[in-house]
Amino acid sequence: MLSGLGVFLLALVAIFIVGNLWFHLVESVLSRIKKLFSRGGEPNTWHPFPPEDEAENKE
Amino acid sequence: MGIFGKLFKGPEVDMEKSRANAEKMRVLFDQVVENGDRYRLIFGYTEDVSRFNYGLVHGSKTKIGDLIVGWNEEDQTIVVVPTVPDLSGCGDPTYYRRDQILKAYRNKYPTEAFIIYPDKSGYIGINAYDWLDDESLYVYVSQEEELAAFTDFFMKRFVKK
Repeated sequence: MLSGLGVFLLALVAIFIVGNLWFHLVESVLSRIKKLFSRGGEPNTWHPFPPEDEAENKE
Repeated sequence: MGIFGKLFKGPEVDMEKSRANAEKMRVLFDQVVENGDRYRLIFGYTEDVSRFNYGLVHGSKTKIGDLIVGWNEEDQTIVVVPTVPDLSGCGDPTYYRRDQILKAYRNKYPTEAFIIYPDKSGYIGINAYDWLDDESLYVYVSQEEELAAFTDFFMKRFVKK
């Protein structure tokens, strides 16, 4: 009885792990495909926080 | 206050850290938005949720995008600037002028997000709370008063159906 329950729980854990691995695999493939298609677009501009003395002068 | 009193009181906001972050948000915002000082600011975030369901196995993965949200009551404009939890930088601003957007409303479920549709092709959902403790995901800032003012502005002057 207990061993049956253990096997069932192990099977659930295995399904959970395989499901998560599959999800992350699909997501990574999708994000790579998205990156391929978005290469032509303008790159996002990033503005770093100004050095502290500059920020103080602005205030 | 005794030990139990402190335990039951829950986490307290570090106001000094909160003020410092509010100032950094202002510096970043003013750096990329013209006449940024005419806008009031809150911190908000977007959630990008991917769901999966393989029968027995289902779940979700959420990506958080931090935002500095500015609003100007006179111009009825909301400006959204993407940033990161440590406020080390920010992206380009996106402007949502009420007379140029398709619709705007406040969501009820699953979260009380502020939803703006600039056009038919997409939307932005802005989530905002008084304070969020997780510094790895969110900007550490206490904003009870500002959030109340933003909610009031959004519901009374920005909502569009």
